[in-house]
Amino acid sequence: MTVSDRSIKDAEEAGERLLAEHRSDDPFAAAFKATRMPMIITDPRQADNPIIFSNAAFSTLTGYAREELIGRNCRLLQGPQTDKAVVAQIRAAVEDERSLAVDVLNYRKDGTPFWNALFLSPVRSQAGDVIYFFASQLDFTRMKERQSELAAARSLAEEEVARRTKDLRDALEAKTLLVHEVDHRVKNNLLTIASILKLQARLTRDDTVRRTLHSVLGRVEALSTVQRKLFTTADVEHFDGADFARDLATDMIGAVRRDDIELTFNLSPVLIPAAKASPLAFILHELVADAVRRGLGDGGGKLHLCVERLNGQFHIEMRDTAVARDAGGEEQDFSRMILETCARQVGATITREINGSETVVDVLLPVDSHGEGKTS
Amino acid sequence: MNILIVEDEALLALELESELQAAGHAVIGQAMSSEEAKVLADHQALDFAFVDIQLLDGPSGIEVGYHLREKGVPYVFMTGNLKRIPEDFAGALGAIEKPYTMNGLEHALAFIERFVEGERRGAFPPSLVPAPWLKMAH
Repeated sequence: MTVSDRSIKDAEEAGERLLAEHRSDDPFAAAFKATRMPMIITDPRQADNPIIFSNAAFSTLTGYAREELIGRNCRLLQGPQTDKAVVAQIRAAVEDERSLAVDVLNYRKDGTPFWNALFLSPVRSQAGDVIYFFASQLDFTRMKERQSELAAARSLAEEEVARRTKDLRDALEAKTLLVHEVDHRVKNNLLTIASILKLQARLTRDDTVRRTLHSVLGRVEALSTVQRKLFTTADVEHFDGADFARDLATDMIGAVRRDDIELTFNLSPVLIPAAKASPLAFILHELVADAVRRGLGDGGGKLHLCVERLNGQFHIEMRDTAVARDAGGEEQDFSRMILETCARQVGATITREINGSETVVDVLLPVDSHGEGKTS
Repeated sequence: MNILIVEDEALLALELESELQAAGHAVIGQAMSSEEAKVLADHQALDFAFVDIQLLDGPSGIEVGYHLREKGVPYVFMTGNLKRIPEDFAGALGAIEKPYTMNGLEHALAFIERFVEGERRGAFPPSLVPAPWLKMAH
């Protein structure tokens, strides 16, 4: 008799002893044998903790006949992909004589793997000694597969979302680049137009021609000033009307080159749709130019500009101390035509009042009430 | 001042040259690409330069700027896109935002003349966006 034969014999005998403790009509033993839950009992007091009892469900699960199991250690279920760390956990639980629930990859007799939800528990004698280990198994391969299918589906979905997000981001970036490219061209064109006017104004010997060119240049520069305000923030559809008004008035009064013009402001930010930029630029330009023509340019004085939101409208108030006289002439008529046309375009109302030495001009421009929202 | 203009739009460069000459300066070179600009900077005695960022060979004005800084030539950028300028302004005094007005350019030029002569006082004209280092020094 070999060592191995001997130990199998010992295990068989231990199993028989265990059975002998129970009558054949013991409902617990019957349940153990008949349950569809695969179960085994091992004997830790024998060398290498062999299986001394296994039920039919265990044989169905693993493909091993009862005779092939008795006397063997449970490690016969291990295979190449079995996690060594889990095996170590099981061994530690046995050595420490405590229960353990753990998921382990096991192998059937035919070599096919299955996921085993193993529950292991020591059985103690009345004296408290561990006399058996009881282990139940549950094949949850299908669940595991479904889990990994779910994980795979999730990762696919995540990849798809990432891909589409990137597409969107790329499209947005392309749009931003395009806006900046167009903006760059508009700016260069405005400056080229201004350059041509300036070059010709420099060359001409005729004062009337020079004055006319400068009058056109002034309006082109008003467009230039407003163009600089566009697309400067993430909100490409709006610009700050107050910021623009300050820049325009500062530049125009600065161009008069007089120290005796006192320019003051009272500004609060007002978002204006970009689509209204050009007519608004002209309206402001004509108003300031008019004050300069009426007398600021000849005799100095005060100019106060207030820009605010008033009852959901964009409100500009300009007060000046220029002599309230009608400058008359072609330039004056032309300026009025531009002013009225632009006011009509944006639905602005312009009122002019003369209080003694002060001229007060009010401009009310409706802006979309929805958060000074979209262009119409 | 002996001035270099780096600008790929010939009409803009021509007008800027007239403006500078009218103010009593000499434009000793015009470059449309970064290569041209660097060659001119290497072979001419320059007091100042106006540098557009978008040139014939791309947004290479920044590179020209660094080259000018190495040569110790003060300059300003002239650009429609201030966001293109690096944080250190590549050593530029500042930037004149395009499209500038005639008055804006003249005031910026007056500031530049004072700066090149060593004057470090006086407010920045609204048409010149000063570099952070210049703001600190002021």
